[in-house]
Amino acid sequence: MTVLQKRLLSVVLAITFIFFIIAARLFYVQVIWGRELVMRASDQWNREIPVVAARGLIYDRNGTVIAGNTQSYAVFARPNAVGDKAYAAAMLAPLLGQDEGAVLKKLHKSGVSEVTLARQTGRAAVEGIISLGIDGIYYSPDTSRAYAYGDALCQVLGFTSSDGLGLSGIEKVYNDVLSGIDGSILYSSDIVGNLTDGTDIVYREAVDGDGIMLTIDIDIQLVAEQAVRRVCLSSGAESASCIVLDPNSFEVLAMVNYPSYDLNDIPRDEPEVLNSLSRNTIVCDIYEPGSTFKVVTAAANLQEYLNGNTAAFSPTYIFNGSRTRSVDGTTIRCWSDHANGKHSSQTLALALNNSCNPCFTDIALALGTNVFYDYLTLFGLGNVTGIDFAGEALGMLVPQSLVRDCDLARIGFGQTVAVTGLQLACAVASAVNGGNYYVPSLARGVVSKDGSVEELSPVLKNTTISERASAMLCEMLEGVVAEGSGKNAYIEGYRVAGKTGTAQKYENGAVAQGKYVSSFVGFFPANEPRYLALVIVDEPQGAYYGSVVAAPVAAEIFNGIISVKNIPPVE
Amino acid sequence: MSPSSKVLPKRQALFEKPKNIGDVPLLVCTAGMAAFGCVMVYSASSYVGEVLYDDAFFFVTKQLVGGAIGLLAMVAAAFVPYKKLAALKYPLAALAAVLLALVFVPGIGVTNYGATRWIGLGSLTIQPSEIAKYAFVLFAAAHFAKNYGRARSFKGVAPVLALGVVYCALIIAEPNMSITMCVGLLMLALVFLSGTNLKTFAVMLVPCVVAVPVLIALEPYRLERLSAFIDPWASPRDEGYQLIQSLYALGNGGWLGVGLFNSTQKYRFLPFAESDFIMSVMGEELGFIGLIAFFAVCLFMIWRGIAIARRCTQPFGYLLAAGITLVYGIQVAVNALVVSGCIPPTGLPLPLISSGNTSLVITMASMGVLYNISAER
Repeated sequence: MTVLQKRLLSVVLAITFIFFIIAARLFYVQVIWGRELVMRASDQWNREIPVVAARGLIYDRNGTVIAGNTQSYAVFARPNAVGDKAYAAAMLAPLLGQDEGAVLKKLHKSGVSEVTLARQTGRAAVEGIISLGIDGIYYSPDTSRAYAYGDALCQVLGFTSSDGLGLSGIEKVYNDVLSGIDGSILYSSDIVGNLTDGTDIVYREAVDGDGIMLTIDIDIQLVAEQAVRRVCLSSGAESASCIVLDPNSFEVLAMVNYPSYDLNDIPRDEPEVLNSLSRNTIVCDIYEPGSTFKVVTAAANLQEYLNGNTAAFSPTYIFNGSRTRSVDGTTIRCWSDHANGKHSSQTLALALNNSCNPCFTDIALALGTNVFYDYLTLFGLGNVTGIDFAGEALGMLVPQSLVRDCDLARIGFGQTVAVTGLQLACAVASAVNGGNYYVPSLARGVVSKDGSVEELSPVLKNTTISERASAMLCEMLEGVVAEGSGKNAYIEGYRVAGKTGTAQKYENGAVAQGKYVSSFVGFFPANEPRYLALVIVDEPQGAYYGSVVAAPVAAEIFNGIISVKNIPPVE
Repeated sequence: MSPSSKVLPKRQALFEKPKNIGDVPLLVCTAGMAAFGCVMVYSASSYVGEVLYDDAFFFVTKQLVGGAIGLLAMVAAAFVPYKKLAALKYPLAALAAVLLALVFVPGIGVTNYGATRWIGLGSLTIQPSEIAKYAFVLFAAAHFAKNYGRARSFKGVAPVLALGVVYCALIIAEPNMSITMCVGLLMLALVFLSGTNLKTFAVMLVPCVVAVPVLIALEPYRLERLSAFIDPWASPRDEGYQLIQSLYALGNGGWLGVGLFNSTQKYRFLPFAESDFIMSVMGEELGFIGLIAFFAVCLFMIWRGIAIARRCTQPFGYLLAAGITLVYGIQVAVNALVVSGCIPPTGLPLPLISSGNTSLVITMASMGVLYNISAER
């Protein structure tokens, strides 16, 4: 072999060697690494346009739509398909109601195939965007909430984010039911997102959310809304709230907190205002109930009397007429001066009529801590009711192991104890409905797409007192309205019963002068309660007695119910 | 082999039927490659053509024209007694140098993707570096044939080196790193094949090896490409993009490919899918097996070319045949190394396949020359 032939052979060997390397490398890339590379690449090959599931509607108990949907649009951009980004931002920003810089920033986002420019955009804006004809901007159907009654029930219903996620209230609690499952349109695209030929479009249908049927009766709700608003404005109160329960199932028929806000015009730009206005205070905040709490004390005494507990007072027992009681060295006074024969010769019924504090001190002390606390527990105090609403407060009850007689004496007439409005309404409802304590509810059932309702049945939590004790209590409370402090709630022919309450407010551990919470808890008909209402007016100006401020509101609500439900008078 | 080249008789016809039948399989392979190239160019470019020019056949039409011209050029070259080409040694070398220089004349040079590599003649653009490679082969072959004995010394190889350096300098200034590399490799290979002393060869190897890091240091973008090559996902949107897209295409191909015309990466994800990165599309559509088959044909052609050189009794034919074969082989190898991510991405077409008429016509013509050499016994 000549030198040249050897050299030629070396070159051939070198070339062969290089091709061997290439083949090995290609084997590695294509055969071994291939699967992982395809997984990485599929991100850029496939585009997904979301198909937004329609949010389920919210109905009242009679099937009236309270929270509906309107058609809106979501606007997306494929940044690398948008040519003149500055121009696009300048044209889109006013249509989307956004800052031009913010839009431009989204259009410059790298590392993503799509950015969402706006959700829940109105038809006019989208038509404007289409007419601009900017490449790389597209849209898909979306839905926006439309609340049929504006600010009615706003704290209970709650609201959604612009992405359609329930942020508060029923919208949040039942978000999983309401939201449904978003679908998508999946397709292969070229580098700027244009559909490529001959590829399949995979359409994954959106599953619309189910509806929620509330226990709320929108007619009663509107009556209560109006009454609460009126008392809040006329009394100059800080706020006012109300709950209407069906005492036989603890279904919430109406729940009002005023001031409120318009669900169709949510003050999202003022988070503090929104936070305060959207608070369902009657469930989430506590207050010192005052005399309305005497219903619980009276109920405990009646049951113990029927049980044969000799410490309990019989319905005919005449309480000591003194204005004061001395407990643990502290003096407890009645709100009344007991002068000129007032609050004398009181039986339990009269004590309730007069709302005489010392009598209830006597009961609490007579029953003793153990017995009395057993009843407090049965009536759900110091514990959540378990309503289907987020953020329910526990209330405040001095722990049984730490309670002193002077505490017990005050708890008897509703001081040194704090409850939520819902807790008190439920406690009273169970005391007057024959002694059944249910879990209160806001949702009555889930509404399927075919319109059928899967109803949730009331859950009995425990029993509190016997039917007999309950009936006796109802009779006494009817007397309170007929001839006692609750007469402002009296409605001719409708057997309204109830109890007033006026509590002083505390600030920093001391009594706040001139600040009261006026309340009234009432129900009708007294012999077979169907509607129970608790009205709470916080810091009314001028007149502050529950009998003056809150009782008429309950009467107004009951009158409204009688009117919308066409309830005939008895007798 | 004879130490002296035969002096050609004057006044001979330019075209002359070869006395013997040459290496027909080589021509068949070349034509087949060109035809296959048209299919691949169509597959890789139909979508881009439709989007950019509203014509799915935009690139393939050009390629078919180039293929037809290439076929004519190949046949014509097959009929030109190759020894006559020795006379073109100086004119062609000079022409290539002038064309390379013209690239830098404003108004004539065409700049694309930040590099001035083309000269425009109306609607036609040609890439002088494609011509320069062959001009260099011809010059080196003719020079060493004429000065056969002297090739052993450094002085004897000096003129070849000088031309090589001039070409390299002009091409690197465009800039075009990969063709510079090809010319450099070609220079080394031809000097090696000329039978030079290994010592001389070693002496000229040193500056070539040194040149690589120097050239990289001179242009920062080369360093960026180098780092992107080491980890393309560190800059997936910028420097690493091209390589990532090539790897996606190859990976998607797997063993057997996704089928002809079914590439996903051609939907504008892969830049230069119809030209420098057409092998990625081949790998995606035809798979690892397809690429191996393709390389088998390439190696077959290289083997035929080397065999032709080996059979040559004359140093000119020997070096010309080897040079033409090496130009082809080096380009295929460098292109495959780039596409598979073994070396940093550079702009180099895959001969006979990639879209681009200068390369296609000249490569086919060079195969005609190779045939003519093979026909001589």
